[in-house]
Amino acid sequence: MAANPVVFATRVDKVGARAQFSRAVRIVLVVAYAVISMIPIFWMVTAAFKSRPDVLAIPPKVAFEPTLEGIVSLLTKRSVIPPGQEDQYRNRPDLGLFDRIMIERGQVITGPSQYTQRLLNSVIVAGISTILSVALGVLAAYAFSRFDVPGKGDWLFFILSTRMLPAVVVTIPIFLMYQQLRLYDTHLGLILLYTTFNLSFSVWLLKGFIDEIPKEYEEAALVDGYSRMQAFRKVVLPQAVTGIAATFVFCFIFAWNEFAFALMLTSERARTAPPSIPTMLGTGGIEWAAIAAGTLGFLIPVIIITFALRDYLLRGVTFGALRK
Amino acid sequence: MADIELQQVEKRFDEMFAVRPLDLTIKDGEFVALLGPSGCGKTTTLRMIAGLETTSGGRIILNGKDVTRLKPSERDVAMVFQFFALYPHLTTRENIAFPLQAEGETKSNIEQRVREVAAMLRVEPLLKLRPGSLSSGDQQRVALARALVRRPACFLMDEPLGALDADFRESMRSEIKHLHLQQKGTTVYVTHDQIEAMAMADRIVVMNQGEVQQVGTPAEVYHTPRNLFVARFIGSPGMNLVRGVWAGDHVSLPLDNRYKLPAQWQAALYGVPAENGITIGFRTEDVLLRADGPLAGTVISAGLLGSFTMLAIDLGDGQSIIEARVSRDMRVSAGDHVRFDLKPDMVRVFDSKTERAIQPA
Amino acid sequence: MELSQSHTTRPRRRHLSDAQIQFLFIAPTIILLVLMNIFPLFYSLYLSFTEFSVIKPNNPPLWVGLQNYQNILRDEETWKYFALTGRYVLLSVALQTLVGFGLAMLLRERFKGNGLITTIILIPIMMSPVVIGLFWKLIYNPAFGIFNYLLGYATPNSGPDWLGTASRALWAVIIVDVWMWSPFVMLLCLSGLKAIPDYLYEAASIDRANSWFQFRRITLPQVAPLLLIAVLFRTIEAFKTFDLVMGLTGGGPGDSTELIAVNLYRAAFQRFATGESSAYAYIVLVIIIAISNLYVRQLNRARGE
Repeated sequence: MAANPVVFATRVDKVGARAQFSRAVRIVLVVAYAVISMIPIFWMVTAAFKSRPDVLAIPPKVAFEPTLEGIVSLLTKRSVIPPGQEDQYRNRPDLGLFDRIMIERGQVITGPSQYTQRLLNSVIVAGISTILSVALGVLAAYAFSRFDVPGKGDWLFFILSTRMLPAVVVTIPIFLMYQQLRLYDTHLGLILLYTTFNLSFSVWLLKGFIDEIPKEYEEAALVDGYSRMQAFRKVVLPQAVTGIAATFVFCFIFAWNEFAFALMLTSERARTAPPSIPTMLGTGGIEWAAIAAGTLGFLIPVIIITFALRDYLLRGVTFGALRK
Repeated sequence: MADIELQQVEKRFDEMFAVRPLDLTIKDGEFVALLGPSGCGKTTTLRMIAGLETTSGGRIILNGKDVTRLKPSERDVAMVFQFFALYPHLTTRENIAFPLQAEGETKSNIEQRVREVAAMLRVEPLLKLRPGSLSSGDQQRVALARALVRRPACFLMDEPLGALDADFRESMRSEIKHLHLQQKGTTVYVTHDQIEAMAMADRIVVMNQGEVQQVGTPAEVYHTPRNLFVARFIGSPGMNLVRGVWAGDHVSLPLDNRYKLPAQWQAALYGVPAENGITIGFRTEDVLLRADGPLAGTVISAGLLGSFTMLAIDLGDGQSIIEARVSRDMRVSAGDHVRFDLKPDMVRVFDSKTERAIQPA
Repeated sequence: MELSQSHTTRPRRRHLSDAQIQFLFIAPTIILLVLMNIFPLFYSLYLSFTEFSVIKPNNPPLWVGLQNYQNILRDEETWKYFALTGRYVLLSVALQTLVGFGLAMLLRERFKGNGLITTIILIPIMMSPVVIGLFWKLIYNPAFGIFNYLLGYATPNSGPDWLGTASRALWAVIIVDVWMWSPFVMLLCLSGLKAIPDYLYEAASIDRANSWFQFRRITLPQVAPLLLIAVLFRTIEAFKTFDLVMGLTGGGPGDSTELIAVNLYRAAFQRFATGESSAYAYIVLVIIIAISNLYVRQLNRARGE
């Protein structure tokens, strides 16, 4: 169309009073939904910083005195200070912040909690498996994008369909396999599995990104004497960086959040954070603030990432098949 | 069919004028082209007539009714868009039937009307197909059929040939013109292609940067452009324009060329301030190569374009280059020095500063 | 004639050919997938025809033919859980679709902060379902959860115990599922809606079509393909629901939220009826493959347009 300075088309039937009113109603509705849908999250985030009685208060306390109690009790193992010895502990010279907080509650820190270790496992497993699945994925995606691989359509369908399998179907035999290979309850076992499941996703997503890089760049490089491999490294990869980054993040989130496999294929040593969380409810004297803090560790990165990736979200949830 | 009247119609975005206050009367059955380069306001004007754009001022009168505040659906216009705007999920038949269905017409009426219009536009074999499987020319014909099916008060066309492949453009052009002659519908046609406007319109409204430059018949805008813009824009190529200085009884042109203006200009030129300068204009076909001509120059290029040869002649200063259409038998090549004259009654004179045409006495 | 000497000083390196690169790039992926997916799949198939329990390794798998399948399909309990899951899928997907589509229609409006609101609404779909299940457990708690409070029950324990009552528990899960996944449907519908060019509506309004007519004949047909993709995908995922239920109810109270995936987990990892649960898993698999097939076909159709 002509290079008009028109930003919004101002159609005659859209500027009347009735049109403006219905527009206002629509905006109000959708903002209301956004607010309401955030209430659970908001409540959880604040619960992580509340003291125990505050968490349980009804009507819910909107204004409260923040404390790190929940977070500390999540991350540390404690034992109760024998009555009468509080002062002894309070006056020790080497008290850190966490120590002080707990001593106020009559407990002394004896070491990192099981959860901390689980969190670490999550980082290791999610991190390594994501790196692997993105690395292998970008190679396969490139090959599928640029070459007429025999049976390409079938291969791609096959790769996509592996993602459709319910976790439980695959777990039983893998459980048995792992028992035989002694991969049960190991980091390697989970890493292998996560890499595989993320692969199908990452191949499709990356193929979508690579498809959009014009072939002309590589062709120019090839004409200039570069080998295909060099063209791939020097021309395609740099241009695919944003796609790779987005894929990396999506895969990481999936691996980080993964629950079912972690539950079934690990127990003590390699267990990641998600399966641990429900079991924290088992013991008496439920530390709700601790649980809230645990979930916080999962929410905050996700919220940040959702903002960062909002332009890629459509591609992410449809495996790169569709773009805005 | 109906009259369209635009009274002081304008469109503003904050401080910027997309369309300056415009007055225009289009008679019943007339074919008027809104012509100009991108961003000149022609499309905005058309959309204001359609109701797709609000006016910042002025009134639009359609068939005697003030429609300025009315919705598009209340105005009884039909529109043909550059990108066809056919509903992609409907077949040709359903596309054409759409307006009548929206109005709640009976099925048998719709059937009949669709058949009539499809025959008129020769799209009967396409009725079961979807727009996706049609060529651009066919798609536009379906769009035309859809516009015709309602028998509206007027037709608005927004660069309808713009998205067509080159081979379709000419044939569609004559088809639209033919349709117009048949249906005698009031038509407002937006285009940036002056050949289209010249070929099809009864009158042309030349616009630039939101302002109307000239309203006239094709002959008028071609032979008597009102300003330098129209002179340049109309014609392929546009009018040759050479800047010079009025020196009493002749115009001094680059590199010692002197052109003696015919008598009727002398009187009019006295009114022009000397410092403004004069620009003379003449069309390529009004250049006469003559060994005794008053003007001289060097040929830069000579191209045989089939029925004639086009020369580019440098008047000497490297900047004033004119184009001349000469007989194809003429043996002239680059580097030749030539002398030429201009057809006296076809010469036009403009004020270089105000860019307006100077009228002879 | 002498050839240029410029390259002869460098030793010529053998570069990988295109065919080699294809193989090299794709093979690791395929191998991994086959090892971790195909092989287990077949192993699982084999197991489904056996009587075997992984905690009794001394009793090797005993071939029993179709007996596992028969047992499962004849068991009333199985059908009860299938029906339950079916009900859950139907209700949840229907609600998600309505809410999601509605939100998309609302978000078409151009206003300041539209992008921000959209992103806020999208947050739930990126979260871990089990974590969400957990904190909704808090929220549903009748003693100190805010769900009842927001519904108007001002004092603790005055409102219904959502997760504790068999009749309400499924609905509690459905609500959370809809909260989590409506944004997904919204995202797809929104992108479909945005892809409808303005000039179609302009042409329609010139053609005197009123809003309802335009919605019915232009908006809906154009969004339908994407909406279908969303519905199919969510249906597949809803059948597989595991994480959310485990975090929220663990299948209870009683077995009022015992969805297929949960039931399957119990059979395999609590009762350790390995052979039988493999058969069970396969039956579920077949259903899911059928729907997935439709899904992938619809996906390809939408991409081709």
